[in-house]
Amino acid sequence: MKIAVLMKQVPVSNNVSVDPDTHALIRSSSEGMINPADLNAIEAGIILREKYEGEVVAFTMGPQDAEKSLRDALAIGCDEACLITDRALAGGDTIATAKTLAKAIEIYGEFDLIMSGALSTDGATGQVGAMVAEYLQLPHVSEINGVDFADESFQITKKFQNNIVELSCEGPASVSVCFGVNSPRLATLRTKRAAKNKEITVYTNRELQLAEQEVGIAGSPTLVVDSFAPEYQKKAKMLLGTPEEIAEQMKELISIERGKN
Amino acid sequence: MANGICIFAENYKNTLEPVVGELMSVANSIKASTGEKIIAIVLSSNCDNLVESLKALGVDEILAVNTVEDTSFKDEINSHIIAEMIRKIEPTSVLIPATMTGRSIFSRVAAKLNCGLTADCTEVVVDKNENGNYYIKQNKPSFGENVMVTIITKEECYPQMLTIRPGVYPSVEASEQNVATVVNYMTEVEIPKSKLQVVGITKAQASTESIVGAEVVVVGGRGATGENFELLNRFASKLEAAIGGTRPLIDEGVIPFENQIGQTGCTVRPKICVSLGVSGAIQHTEGIKDTKLFIAVNTDESAPIYNLADYGVALDFKSVLEAYLGD
Repeated sequence: MKIAVLMKQVPVSNNVSVDPDTHALIRSSSEGMINPADLNAIEAGIILREKYEGEVVAFTMGPQDAEKSLRDALAIGCDEACLITDRALAGGDTIATAKTLAKAIEIYGEFDLIMSGALSTDGATGQVGAMVAEYLQLPHVSEINGVDFADESFQITKKFQNNIVELSCEGPASVSVCFGVNSPRLATLRTKRAAKNKEITVYTNRELQLAEQEVGIAGSPTLVVDSFAPEYQKKAKMLLGTPEEIAEQMKELISIERGKN
Repeated sequence: MANGICIFAENYKNTLEPVVGELMSVANSIKASTGEKIIAIVLSSNCDNLVESLKALGVDEILAVNTVEDTSFKDEINSHIIAEMIRKIEPTSVLIPATMTGRSIFSRVAAKLNCGLTADCTEVVVDKNENGNYYIKQNKPSFGENVMVTIITKEECYPQMLTIRPGVYPSVEASEQNVATVVNYMTEVEIPKSKLQVVGITKAQASTESIVGAEVVVVGGRGATGENFELLNRFASKLEAAIGGTRPLIDEGVIPFENQIGQTGCTVRPKICVSLGVSGAIQHTEGIKDTKLFIAVNTDESAPIYNLADYGVALDFKSVLEAYLGD
């Protein structure tokens, strides 16, 4: 079973503020890590490989230093890794990113299952996995809780409105995995060392051969035109007083609401 | 010439999702500037009820597709039909609920139409560009809730498609007086096949049912462990409330996974919700819907939970609960 896992390097800290004059983002640290939900996708991929043999290939698109996250993925247990990096690809929105990832997967080889984390901690769009599936013309199930393989098909579980939905799909298929559905294994000192020396496939646009107007900012239908500090439109009315006074107010609010139909 | 504001009438089992009423508020605010008509797009194995519900929300037009079979979860089919509907309507904007279903289907629609999809907008602002044309500033939180970004769609890539975070905009009131709706059925669209099969749908385990159906829910976040959990537990018994939790509480093993509220857990719609030490990250707040009374207790006055809650208490929840319980 050949599995591709799409992952994203996200900032370790979401502690980002906005310069009030230039509106530029000010980051407290530039350190990156694998997006948490992507670790769940990697774990789900490795479990499938352990049961049914095959390999797990981690893909990421980003600056050169995203290589660090790919090394982490190899240390955790991915078999191969592919870094997609090129200045021309920078600044892309989800459409441009998905188009690029789809092309990279296509030229890398055939896969039975494409996996990704459901949402990233930074942009949290949850779109790229489904868009890649569309570009590759694959069936896709978003935000799943589990996947196994039986009767020649992927058996997928997904939670939806307090129901457990069971789906079945022949490969090749694509899924995005919810955060927290399994416990990602950790790298050991030994696997970390081994990962250091593994070869990583690097694709620039020379390999991908995508037209300039299809990638990066030019290939993005949307543009980020501004960033600003959120003005919290606080909806909540703050209850004031001593804990005792507040407790009394809470009791009253709750008893009024209970009395309504 | 593109014209019209589309709203996606998300539904499940032929019932309209309440969030569609919230999209209608946003559509009305765009219409107030641009004067465009509002067109609901709906697809279902049986659109009749849905069409009636949509009329009551006051949409100008409805474009409906009867899919014959239930196509829930089959994004390939749904995205194909919706892309065809949008091609037919040629709207300037499409509003979609930022839900699992909305994200999942419209990611594919955006790829098909090569238009963008702005995720999880909390603010929609109509402005005019230098050519005198209206466009939408799509404001959304990024990096957790620490930064707001404004996103716009390039004019050559219209429609402007955006998902709207549920619970931010108030819903319009449904009224039977709204009768001026034009209803069109689109019959010429081909309904493709999907390799994806729904094998079964079962209710989540019984243990979650107590929390899912509960009228009163107490939610614990980081810090609600150890003796604090003891306190939370007594508070919940006093209110006859079910206990839910965010991830830290699940990780600590204090409450079972089934009682996790949010994106990976369950969705609750209690009448009364009291959250204790919950910061309010979207992963969690997506799981709390339609509350009538929501009181949040969190020492951090800038916590995003206060954008959702009706009342806030910026104190350590321990002191508040002790006072409440008369300790």
